[in-house]
Amino acid sequence: MTGLRLEHVTKKFKEFTAVNDVSFEVKDGEFVVVLGASGSGKSTILRLIAGLEVQTSGHVYIGDMEVDDYEPRDRNIAMVFQSYALYPHLTAYNNIAFALRVRRVPRDDDPDRYRRRTREEIDERVRHAAELLGITDTLEKKPAALSGGQRQRVALARAIVRDPEAFLLDEPLSNLDAKIRSSARIELKRLHDQLKQTFVFVTHDQSEAMTLADRLVIVDHGRLLQYDTPERVLRDPASQFVASFVGSPDMVFLEGAVESRAGAASFVLGPVRIPVRGETAPGPVTLGIRPWDVSIGPENAPGGIPAVVRGVERLGSSDQLYLELTAPGAAPAPGVSVRAMGRAYENQVGDSVSVSIDPDHALFFDKDGARVHSLETAPPA
Amino acid sequence: MRRRRGRRWVRLLRAAASHAVLILAVVFALFPIYFIVITSFSTIPIASITAQVLIPKVGQLTFASYRAALYTQSPAFTALLENSLIFAGSAAAIGMGLAAFTGFALSKFNFPGRRAFVYFILIISLFPSFLLIIPYYFMFAKLDLIDTYPGLIIPYSAGAVVFSGILVKNYMDSIPDDIEEAALIDGLSRTGAFFRVLIPLCTPVLGLAAFLAFVGPYTDYALAHVFITSSAKETLALNLYAIATGDTGEQNYGVVTAFALVMSLPIVAFYIAFQRYIIGGLTLGGVRG
Repeated sequence: MTGLRLEHVTKKFKEFTAVNDVSFEVKDGEFVVVLGASGSGKSTILRLIAGLEVQTSGHVYIGDMEVDDYEPRDRNIAMVFQSYALYPHLTAYNNIAFALRVRRVPRDDDPDRYRRRTREEIDERVRHAAELLGITDTLEKKPAALSGGQRQRVALARAIVRDPEAFLLDEPLSNLDAKIRSSARIELKRLHDQLKQTFVFVTHDQSEAMTLADRLVIVDHGRLLQYDTPERVLRDPASQFVASFVGSPDMVFLEGAVESRAGAASFVLGPVRIPVRGETAPGPVTLGIRPWDVSIGPENAPGGIPAVVRGVERLGSSDQLYLELTAPGAAPAPGVSVRAMGRAYENQVGDSVSVSIDPDHALFFDKDGARVHSLETAPPA
Repeated sequence: MRRRRGRRWVRLLRAAASHAVLILAVVFALFPIYFIVITSFSTIPIASITAQVLIPKVGQLTFASYRAALYTQSPAFTALLENSLIFAGSAAAIGMGLAAFTGFALSKFNFPGRRAFVYFILIISLFPSFLLIIPYYFMFAKLDLIDTYPGLIIPYSAGAVVFSGILVKNYMDSIPDDIEEAALIDGLSRTGAFFRVLIPLCTPVLGLAAFLAFVGPYTDYALAHVFITSSAKETLALNLYAIATGDTGEQNYGVVTAFALVMSLPIVAFYIAFQRYIIGGLTLGGVRG
């Protein structure tokens, strides 16, 4: 059980740079999720840690050991593949026992010499792992006879039975039905809490990432965009890309400009003006706000922006409203709409309401998507 | 109602026509074998087979031809069988082993010129093997391999690798890289992963490769005829030709057919053993989907 570290790791496939100067450190026992769209290089990062690919430059450390020249089998990491990659010709039991049979362990009397594990030792560990994952009844079946959820558990059991330095998981939940996926997610988190081992988990599913991660690595086009806790990534995203990638429902973006008038800055969007707090340089910007930081009030509420409800999407606990902004005393600003959370029974399509945007939670991005100023949020406890 | 009935008529007619064609094809395929079987049991000892009746009476059946084929030939049937099994069995084992390595290299390793090499092998496999007999003869004569066991086993095995290597490659292509990588992470070297994961997964295709590498040499006449000069190394196929052409005396179709049927038994046995592999064989179930 150890942490691991990537130092300026770059991986090129001929002309294509899959991973571009990525550095991050995973602490001992931490659950880190690498989040990115498909083709962002997230799986390559995992394969570089596993040793299935060798980086073009940079270093990979497992614990304090530089493992750049180590074969996968010498890195003592476990990996769960997206396809599970179970051995089709072996039963679930033998799949789990495989690594234990292959690897030799130091002898008790002479640690410099190695021996095979005994049948009893292997059996004990396989049964223990199977119990932990609730697959004791399926051990004699071959992978073809198992359901998707069972295969996924066998793949997990195969990883934990070895007691590796770290677990690498490549989208292990993406092949599950939506129903079992959320329960498998919770179970995985529970497993991590039990094992207290280092997990690196790759996914493109931001809600999966948010639920599981102690810390999130967000990658795009092979570059690391942000490495932080889910809370901070959500509240203080490093760029417009990160802001749009995480959080559900999606962040609302409004294109406009910051204007300074008599010491008070405001965000101007056509005829709409939104007061802005903090030091924001004047100029064209994009305002970003989470739908839950947009509040809806009665029509003509003081300080609110007039708007009309254009759509209601029922989500359950609260509903998502699509609102079109209208300028005070002017024609509606065409095409400028925001999402807000509200109650469907309080707001019907066609209603006139007023909208206010919490200036404390408004984020500003320049035309390249970079943050214009940082929010001064307190680090989460 | 009426239209429906009309459609049913068409369907019935179609089914009848296709069945008729299939039955005819089966008759064409099975009749020669049937004819060989009844000839081998026939009491008609003459060279002319036109006297053969298509439905023999039970009282007219005899094992005389089998006795003649098995016990009165020279060299003895068992000696011929032994030679054939040595040649074909060795070719099957060596050919299959080499095909496994060839397929592994061509499927799972990236090296410059791999595609070109695959095409090259495919083209070689289209080359008529008869044309190779003369250069082979010169080569093997220089190496003092004429009329020796290795002298035939080497070209038989080489011939098997050409086709079976591609066969194994295609099969291995269908095994996801994930599975091999899982084995690497579980603690095996690439060689270890090859022997402990890929080879077991490839048993169906390796069985097929072994079968093909066996049947070819077992039934080969052309190469054996040129390379085998002593009767001590004569094979079943060579002797069958000798009997059939009457080189060994009276031309007796009863003996020829009996000899041919007994000779085919090892192939049938091999096929049955191999078929079990395929039917009870492996499905790539650990893989998604």
